[in-house]
Amino acid sequence: MKRALIAVLTVLVGVGIVVGVGTFNSWNQREPAPITAKPAGTIQTPQGEMPHATLELDVYPNSSSTVPPPRTESRFQANQLSGQPFYHPSTSIKVPANTAITITFTQYDGGGQIYNPYFAEVHGSMDGTMKVNGKTVSKIDQNEVGHTFTVHDYPESNEPEFFLSVPLKMNKANAKTDKQGYPVDPQTIEVTFITGDPGKYVWNCEFPCGDYYQEFGGPMQTRGWMAGTFEVVA
Amino acid sequence: MDTRPTGPPDEPEEPTNRPPSMHRVRNWLKRPYAKGIVGLTILLGILLAPMAWLILIPMRVTGAPASEIMGDIQETVFVFTLVSVPIVAFVYAVLVYSLLKWRKYKGDKVPEDESPAIRTNTIGVVMWTVMSSVLAFFLVVWGLIELAQITNNSYGTISADQQPGDEQSVIVNVTGQQWVWTFEYPQHDGVTTDVLYLPKDRPVYFNVTSKDVIHNFWLVELGVKIDANPGAITQTGVTPNKLGSFNLRCAELCGMHHAYMETSVEVVEGETFESVMREMGGGRTA
Amino acid sequence: MSTETIAQTSTVFGEEVPQPRQHGKPGGVMRRLNMGTGLIGGIGLAAIAGFVANALVPSGASTVTFAPAAPDIVYLAILVGWAIGFSAGIGAFVGPIRWFLGRDLTHADAEYMAGKDLGVKRYFKYTTDHKVVGVQYLVVFAFILGLGGLLAMLIRTELGVTWGEVFSPAFYNSLIGTHGIAMIIAMIISVMGPIANFIMPIMIGARDMAFPRLNALSLWLVVIAAVCLVSTLFTGGIQDGWSVYQPLASQGPPAMLGYQMTIIVFAISTGVASVNLMVTALTMRAKGMTWSRTPILVYGVFGAALMGLYAFPFFQYSQIMALSDRIWNTSFFNPLQGGSVWLYENLFWLLGHPEVYVIIIPGTVVLLEIMPVFMRKPLFSFNFAVAGIVGVVALSGLVWAHHMYMTGWAPAANYPFMLSTEMISIPVGFLVLVVIGTMWRGLVWTRLPIMAVYAVIFNKMIGGVTGIYLSDVPVDQYMHGSMFVVAHFHYMLMGAGLFGAMAGLAFYFPKMTGRVLDERTASIGFWTAFTGFQITFMAMFVAGLQGQPRRVLQFDSLFNVPNWISTIGAYIIGLGMLIFAGAVISSWISGDKSPSNPFGSKSLEWQTPTPVPLENFAVLPVVTERPYNYGVPDPYEKELQAADSDLHPEGVGSR
Repeated sequence: MKRALIAVLTVLVGVGIVVGVGTFNSWNQREPAPITAKPAGTIQTPQGEMPHATLELDVYPNSSSTVPPPRTESRFQANQLSGQPFYHPSTSIKVPANTAITITFTQYDGGGQIYNPYFAEVHGSMDGTMKVNGKTVSKIDQNEVGHTFTVHDYPESNEPEFFLSVPLKMNKANAKTDKQGYPVDPQTIEVTFITGDPGKYVWNCEFPCGDYYQEFGGPMQTRGWMAGTFEVVA
Repeated sequence: MDTRPTGPPDEPEEPTNRPPSMHRVRNWLKRPYAKGIVGLTILLGILLAPMAWLILIPMRVTGAPASEIMGDIQETVFVFTLVSVPIVAFVYAVLVYSLLKWRKYKGDKVPEDESPAIRTNTIGVVMWTVMSSVLAFFLVVWGLIELAQITNNSYGTISADQQPGDEQSVIVNVTGQQWVWTFEYPQHDGVTTDVLYLPKDRPVYFNVTSKDVIHNFWLVELGVKIDANPGAITQTGVTPNKLGSFNLRCAELCGMHHAYMETSVEVVEGETFESVMREMGGGRTA
Repeated sequence: MSTETIAQTSTVFGEEVPQPRQHGKPGGVMRRLNMGTGLIGGIGLAAIAGFVANALVPSGASTVTFAPAAPDIVYLAILVGWAIGFSAGIGAFVGPIRWFLGRDLTHADAEYMAGKDLGVKRYFKYTTDHKVVGVQYLVVFAFILGLGGLLAMLIRTELGVTWGEVFSPAFYNSLIGTHGIAMIIAMIISVMGPIANFIMPIMIGARDMAFPRLNALSLWLVVIAAVCLVSTLFTGGIQDGWSVYQPLASQGPPAMLGYQMTIIVFAISTGVASVNLMVTALTMRAKGMTWSRTPILVYGVFGAALMGLYAFPFFQYSQIMALSDRIWNTSFFNPLQGGSVWLYENLFWLLGHPEVYVIIIPGTVVLLEIMPVFMRKPLFSFNFAVAGIVGVVALSGLVWAHHMYMTGWAPAANYPFMLSTEMISIPVGFLVLVVIGTMWRGLVWTRLPIMAVYAVIFNKMIGGVTGIYLSDVPVDQYMHGSMFVVAHFHYMLMGAGLFGAMAGLAFYFPKMTGRVLDERTASIGFWTAFTGFQITFMAMFVAGLQGQPRRVLQFDSLFNVPNWISTIGAYIIGLGMLIFAGAVISSWISGDKSPSNPFGSKSLEWQTPTPVPLENFAVLPVVTERPYNYGVPDPYEKELQAADSDLHPEGVGSR
């Protein structure tokens, strides 16, 4: 009997460890609370009049007393990512389906040359253009890119395809900064695009703004910082 | 102790042209286990042979092969399965027969020694060696011939500067980077897209590279695969022969969003392809 | 080294043997050193090294690639400090220091270090007795296997939840990377650890291995490496698969350094263990044990040790170079600075392929040891078994680039590597022939070890045939990087490797632990795991054939059904393995005491009493017979000889 008991105990302890470790880590790695685009009437698009929604996203070069960093999984990760850039207030984005969405980015970070000039152009917007500081352009100088906002597909063939890439212009190195070190006059980029049917997508930055090899590590590979989810909801 | 028959003696006197080895085979087949194992081998062979057809079903889940390369690959999988069936059937037949007929003892008591002390059997060993070598050589020869064929079909040995820039063919410079694929068509004014457009029935050459880490350019239904290496350009090619929307997946772990590094491959008619290129701002210039 | 007049002798097995001078009590400083002092030394030196590194590296320092240098260098310093400190604390350096000071070991010292009269404490010290090392290896193996299994359950949970993401993608990448390397390490030591160390010296009639202190060193190095591996779980995770391809590894968190240290330390352990095993097999066989009287386990262990010896240095060097790329910004593998990614791939696979044979060959020869005992007949065609092992060892170094067919490294090289890869199926086939021949007409005593052999052969055939597909370059063009590859190597390494190791463990359990294994519970666990295994990996073949790439946590809904099936199968495997572990643990703790030869084996290791005494044999045996002397003369013998004499009056061959 003692033998059977020990065997059963082994199974229970094993299952308990798996469930415990799994649940803790899953909870610890939950995506940030999503932000949803706010309805804003209607707008004229090449496809006629469509409902309109807006969203605001900021990109900060580092956290400060006024702008807290995104949540991290552990003290170790918080240490690793201290002083790294991130999107604010969240990287989980929800937008309504079959709507024209306007996202306004406020970009506080510097930048440099992007590896692939394709991403210095805007792709997937309503009319192939974006507004940079009020001016309508279709691309920016590939040496002056700060970050990008690139949305691409889940590996799911049932959902509609969607691709959006917006380059975010950099602030010059000698720009005037405030007490926290952010430029007082940041770059503003506005892009309008049309969503299709509901689907799930991911987005990440395509500008090397992180750590390690090719500066594509660190925050570039951390959800909640320079990568996240993008959901088109019904 | 030993109650097993020693088998009938050889056929006497009657002059015969039958070679002596046939006597040995017939005598061997008279043993109680011989027919069982041979029968089981044949039965299992019949049961396993359909695997050759079944294995193609998941490979065709998104439709029939979309290029000759993929067709060759599926044919090879079919043939290799059929060719492996006899040896697998035989091994499994011995396992099954052993479990059915030769199980004898249970429990804690050490059994008496009753099995025949066969340390070797020249005929068995020679037959196995010959068969496995023949099988291996068949696989090698088939594989080498097929590899040469597919290399020919994918123009994999031709470097970028020697690729014909003629009317028929299309050159695509594929750039993989974390975690998006981009495609540039140098013959079409350098038009760059994030979706791969290919013309049907025309040879396509790919020059594949990466901007950062190793990726893998896998056109699933077309049977094309080559690593995208940073600092190097690798080449492959294909002639798509089916219309449709197919998948390009990254098949080499490349970081956090490796799973999402997918895009679609649109194989369209030749004229549709040219008009799509023109629409994107790149008429044919080369 | 001592030249002073030797004034004392010791009675060693009835003989008076002159001894060097005894300095202090037997064992000297080793009396005070154990795992506890090792931990103190390891943690202490790690902390000191960490502080010193932190102070020396200026804050905000970065290498040219903008890596935050400080955490990396501090972490590396901590790991190096841990490795050296633990080794010092447990007494690994005592031997060289004694040699340096000219203080040879006396017989009493050697006996102390072998754990004489120390009771259970000897399992927590730097003990040289091969039997103690074997049991220690078993426990370390179980722990690392458990870690790998835990990660596997989490992986399959993520893949089973197809409607969302359970874990973040970066964490999922580290799950698969850590699972991979943990399982590889566990499988390498699965038979070469417990069975080669505990059983092999007794099997060849020796008292211990050739280099007992190196034996203890190889084990404690694995412990050190295991701790380095576990530390990666807390420093960001190994996010680059178990093959850690460059240059992606240079992008990962500091845990990548943990991986590199794990491998660097583990490679030293395997090198040391390989030399030990090979020299033991070559020089310490009992009187009369010629090569034709040596059991096949010795051949298999020797072959695996030889492959490990030449292959692991490649792995070690590749990781040292990767470490250097990361810390000192060298460019071995950084193509943008003149390096080559293919260099890494070649170095890695030069180990990566022989290493799977290091796993499979010992797993197979264990089956070859089990079968004669439970079929009561000799091993079939011993010479062919040896030929198979020799063939695999010889060819194992010539096939590595079949993992690189799709890299574009050298397309012309694909032809010869396809040839060599198909060729290696022939010696592997010899081993299958020997198994089938031994099974032929053998009346089976259905105990767990032999029943497991059926399971292993079933899996091995599937693994082998699917390997044939992958060896063909054009087919690999579809299958490389897909879940088909994952299912194939799980069939070989787990289906044939792990289940073979479990068969060996069930077989040698009475000799190693002195207890009887609860076969009923262990069988329930084994067959549950086997059933779950078939479900999991057959479904995985389907997913791979459909086109699911590997190392992805999200995939097309096309692959949903096979993944759900695989996940359920994986949970069944987990349950079965836990039941098996439960049977092993409960039998070890409170099983019946075992007789010394419960299976009636005629092999030397079973002729010793259980528990095996420290010196193994009171009198070293002399071997006069071939191994596997089971069975009765073949009743068909007369008929065959009669048939032969008809054809060839002088008789064909001899039987």
